[in-house]
Amino acid sequence: MSTRAMSEEGAERDPGWASRLAAHYSPLVFILVLLFAIIFIYGMVTAPNFLTVFNLKTIIRDAALVGIMAIGLTFVTLSGNFFLLSMKETAALCIIAFAMAMSGGYGFELAFLFTMAIAIVAGSLQGVLIGLGGNPIVVTLGAAGLFFGLASWWSDNLVVSFRRPHGAEWLGTGSFLGLPNITIAFILIAITAEIVLRYTTFGRQVYLIGANRAAGRATGHENFSMAIKTCTIASVCSAFVAIAFSAQVSSAQANYFSSEFGSSGDMTILVIATVMVGGNSIMGGYGSTLRSSLGAIFISTVDNMMVLHGFNSGPRVLAVGLMIVFSIIVFALVRRGSRVQE
Amino acid sequence: MTNASAKDGVSAKLKNWIVANPDLAFAILLAVCVYSYFAFTNEFFFTHRTTYAIMERFAVLGLVGLALTLCIIAGEIDLSIGSNAALAAVIVVRFTDQLGAPTAALIAVAIAGTIGLIQGYFIAYLRIRAIVLTVGTLMLLRGVALFAAEEKTVMLTDFTVPDFITTKMLVYFSPASLLVILMFVLVGLFMNYTRYGREIYAIGGARKEALASGINLKRPMMIVFMISGLCAGLGGVIIGLRSGTAQALGLQYLLLAGTVAAFIGGVSILGGRGGVIGAAIGTLTVNFLNTGLVFNVTPAFMVQLYLGILLMIVIMFQTGSRLFDAQQRRKHVLSAVDHRRDIFLTRRDEFAAARRE
Repeated sequence: MSTRAMSEEGAERDPGWASRLAAHYSPLVFILVLLFAIIFIYGMVTAPNFLTVFNLKTIIRDAALVGIMAIGLTFVTLSGNFFLLSMKETAALCIIAFAMAMSGGYGFELAFLFTMAIAIVAGSLQGVLIGLGGNPIVVTLGAAGLFFGLASWWSDNLVVSFRRPHGAEWLGTGSFLGLPNITIAFILIAITAEIVLRYTTFGRQVYLIGANRAAGRATGHENFSMAIKTCTIASVCSAFVAIAFSAQVSSAQANYFSSEFGSSGDMTILVIATVMVGGNSIMGGYGSTLRSSLGAIFISTVDNMMVLHGFNSGPRVLAVGLMIVFSIIVFALVRRGSRVQE
Repeated sequence: MTNASAKDGVSAKLKNWIVANPDLAFAILLAVCVYSYFAFTNEFFFTHRTTYAIMERFAVLGLVGLALTLCIIAGEIDLSIGSNAALAAVIVVRFTDQLGAPTAALIAVAIAGTIGLIQGYFIAYLRIRAIVLTVGTLMLLRGVALFAAEEKTVMLTDFTVPDFITTKMLVYFSPASLLVILMFVLVGLFMNYTRYGREIYAIGGARKEALASGINLKRPMMIVFMISGLCAGLGGVIIGLRSGTAQALGLQYLLLAGTVAAFIGGVSILGGRGGVIGAAIGTLTVNFLNTGLVFNVTPAFMVQLYLGILLMIVIMFQTGSRLFDAQQRRKHVLSAVDHRRDIFLTRRDEFAAARRE
């Protein structure tokens, strides 16, 4: 009798794995996984060299740089501060700082610390302004102009290069166990960020402030310090990307990240696209860095396949744009009933 | 005697006007300061030709500043404005040779306006913030523009149209800048004297109250973004026809310059404040700065640096004044509470004393 009651109770509590999954994850994730599967199978069938180990490695490697930046930006987005329009300009400032220090002969460690210090200053400057109540978009638009101008002014808008046996080569072109070090860094950063968000007090605060700022303020979690912390994290991530990219090509220029980077035009917008396509709520409080990493891999896969099929940059940018708009619309429709309009 | 009183009347009026429009007064002051700085330091700045050059710049930047001013008045911001302009420029340059300039321009502006209208509809229908959607359409429209230009820089073959657009008229103007001034006047009349314009102010300043009082969010939102699209399209058409070339990935600088212009013109990021005159003055200030810096042989990235600093200063100023206001209000409320408590306590003591007796 008692066992029957227990099992009944258990059955009531455990409504099958499918609905549990559905309760846990939004339909958007399902759609994304489904689309991913379709594209994967389509690629497998139509492009003969899609499903090779080399190509899969290329996909993840392409995703790495954008992915790391997107992970940094996810903290800002989750904490309800929308996004930073200054990602690529911060990276531009940092890449110039790093290359300047490297060509000055200071060695990798000092150059790394110097670049990170600049990134922290840049991030906290924006964070202070946002935390005081400035609109994130406008503040970072201004900061973007400022950083890009500084980077161009510092380098005289020229290419800064440093000679090739240098201390940063292991990060740029080295590999470990058959995987490029940048890919390994991406995976490690993704895991760390996910652990920080899920299991630390700071991560909980990010979600709380993003989901309900008024409740956060009432319980003593001001957005002021949160904005500074998250903006600094985003800045540090773009500085890391800048260092990795500079180590790879042994040079730097202010407009490396502007339009020619990758395939899809503007780096900042690509990073924002990654965060959105991953299915994070742009209003904050909902999402994870894992989603951003998966979004980066998704975009990279689609891009890779379009390259294999010989598309030009126009259709590829168009495809990423369509993905963002699609994700926005689906997300808005799914969450429409559950969220009060701000 | 009468003369003195008339003078007093004028100065009192001026004072009242400044108190009523502090932002606009500040914008005019800033514009005059920037202009006179360059006019005094550079002998060629205060000439007819320079004024003509400034008006030529005004033709494009003014449109973008106007569009962003309207968006910010409605409490939103249109990030896709540069992409929209680039698309219009590509379309007009590509089709001018086949269809003739007026038809091509009309098509480009109509497409840009329609894109804006659709954006506005979706923003209102999905009830999302405009930045969320426009950051997506920013990329989407770049893709479309790349597609339309076939990844090349498109060029005109016949240069009669660029010549016509830059002909000098009335010393300072060209057909392009006259058209833009007409657009300013029309939008200004629309915003100030029609119900729809006031609806736009209402959804910006007090969205919840406006919706509660029965404004349908779709209509003002669609109008704002349609005007924004039209302005972006017209700006793109003017740039494309004037230079004879267009690039799909160009015109990214418009957003920063337009935002700076709008904020100097006195809009508030919270929405509901600012106006067309402010937009014009803000754009002129940016143009004075831009032209003056070009006169002093400053590279383009330094202009961007200065604009970035300017925007951050304006934002800091606005945020600071908002914080100050909030503090003052809080202080006022607290002092009022203290006052009432004092009254209450003295009354209670008096009452107690009276009872004891």
